[in-house]
Amino acid sequence: MRRFLGLLVLAFALTATTGAQAYHRFWTNCNADPATFMTTMTRDAAQDYANAARYEGYQWGGGCWNYDDVDAYPYDPPADAGMHGEGGDCSGLTFKTWRESTDTWRDGRWYWRALRNVHGPYDAAAFRDGVGAPNHVVAKSTAGVMDAFASGTHIGMVFMRSPYGGDQIVEAKCEACGTNIFYRTYRSDSSYGGVGRWGWTG
Amino acid sequence: MGLTSVSAAETAAARVPMRPFVDAAHVPPALTARGEPVTLRYAIVCPPRDDGLPCAGAGTVYLRPGTSGVFRAYPLGRGGDSSEGRYFLAVPPDIAADGFSYYAVLRDEDTGATTTVPSGGAAAPQLSLPLGDATPVSLGRHSFGRPRDPDAAAAEAPWGSAAGEVGLAGSRALGFSGPSSFDVEADGTVDVLDSVNGRVLRWEHGRPRAVTLDGREELSDFAAAPDGGFEVLQPQGTFVRYRADGTPEWHGKLADRTWAKLAHGRSGSVVLQEPSEQWLPVADAGAPLTRDEQVRAARSAKPLQNGHDLAVARVGANELRLAELRGAARVRSWRITSETPLGEVQLAESRGNRIVVVVRVYTDDRDEFEVLVLDPDRVAARFAVASDSWTETAPLARFRLAHGGLYRLRTTPSGASVDRFDLEVPQ
Repeated sequence: MRRFLGLLVLAFALTATTGAQAYHRFWTNCNADPATFMTTMTRDAAQDYANAARYEGYQWGGGCWNYDDVDAYPYDPPADAGMHGEGGDCSGLTFKTWRESTDTWRDGRWYWRALRNVHGPYDAAAFRDGVGAPNHVVAKSTAGVMDAFASGTHIGMVFMRSPYGGDQIVEAKCEACGTNIFYRTYRSDSSYGGVGRWGWTG
Repeated sequence: MGLTSVSAAETAAARVPMRPFVDAAHVPPALTARGEPVTLRYAIVCPPRDDGLPCAGAGTVYLRPGTSGVFRAYPLGRGGDSSEGRYFLAVPPDIAADGFSYYAVLRDEDTGATTTVPSGGAAAPQLSLPLGDATPVSLGRHSFGRPRDPDAAAAEAPWGSAAGEVGLAGSRALGFSGPSSFDVEADGTVDVLDSVNGRVLRWEHGRPRAVTLDGREELSDFAAAPDGGFEVLQPQGTFVRYRADGTPEWHGKLADRTWAKLAHGRSGSVVLQEPSEQWLPVADAGAPLTRDEQVRAARSAKPLQNGHDLAVARVGANELRLAELRGAARVRSWRITSETPLGEVQLAESRGNRIVVVVRVYTDDRDEFEVLVLDPDRVAARFAVASDSWTETAPLARFRLAHGGLYRLRTTPSGASVDRFDLEVPQ
């Protein structure tokens, strides 16, 4: 009986630990602060913003990170928004970098700080199709710095083109690979389309 | 107790201030046409500011005619548009005309952080050369849907994890990944990096054999070593050398933040890296190189097996410039134009006294590859190859040139294959 009770206590302890993992993950650090309306939005300020999210991880459906260069919860199960880990997903990172509104009809510029937990209303396919007032489709051959390439499953922003014809792409790629600047050939891949954000000021 | 300590630790992590840093991006004008104005442009990237404005960057370009002598300092200007890099220097025409070498030191005025591009600075500067009297090659408008069939299937495997199968990961929602790279050895052995299953599949005389690695290697690039071992370049810039039996021999770290392609150099593997936009050696005679050794030995042009180097410059949407070099001296060059937009250069290698180039052509909804076999004064052969990529691979890992011809990694909903295209062209 004593052995049974001991095992029961151990089982409860393990359950509590698992519960702590599930309910006190990275999102407990995040906030719901309002976005700041801005009159300017330059492509290099967008490079600054997206570049700072490098190494901060990937979270399906996420949009919240800090700046410690470490993914607090790497290797979560893919496609599970309930894990509440650190980082944006591909469309969440694009939404915040492009200073968009959660209202799809607004095309103004809204600055979301890193720890503001917001994903925005668009998935990769919606961006690809130019859904929402701030977004539009562009010819892939004309896509430039901080325009994007989007497919039905992913979106990444052009950090800079390359002399070999590919692009440095800043993207939240996957749980295992996180957010970083990778060399990609999305521009010439027929499963990707070109996407732009209206309203750059320089 | 457990809950309290986790929350406290995470809250502290959330308050970590951003470390000062400065990063950069730059597209070098590797090959310039006669009379073309040359402007060096840089994006300077800093921690994001609370006011949402771009960083207060500044920088100096150190420039010299040719490849020797003293560098002269030129301050960068700051323009109103950042679409190709806000910071710029118009290179004096008399220096641009005959070629020049240069590097830049860039800084964030708010924090004082600096970075040098390319990473080797004065020891391994970027090189810009005149294209000279290049052979013109006009591809016209690409006719999609008429690709050449391969001459042979060198390796084939269905999706799966059993013997003789190759791994597939992902879903319709996430996208699919499969084998991320491959190589072909001198004796015709085909090695496929079975990334999902964490192994290499070796087809010797047409029969597959598996060599188990450390773990999954998704979206890694891959090269077979002459001693039967393997080299794997992982997405986050770690370079792993494996013995022939799959046990790790050593690990190295790339000097730059981003890589495009792992390739065979003349005495070890080389990697095209960004932001330097140079080929950096990562190993020499089977031994790893330190970061400092990598950046000091960087080259702007790719080392070819014929002892020369090849400078590559995709210009605008419709032009590709190539120059074969002996040192910094141009041996021959080509100016390739296309009415259909040109994408990435998947492969550019020497084959005897010819150059073989594989470049993607694309529209907004179609893509194929153009294969060009270049003589000094003409196109010796040209054909189209279907894209046939159902899964994502390492970016410039779809083709390999080996003794038997040109090889292509192909994936479909049913599996993966490596196909061979013969390149026998009458001299």
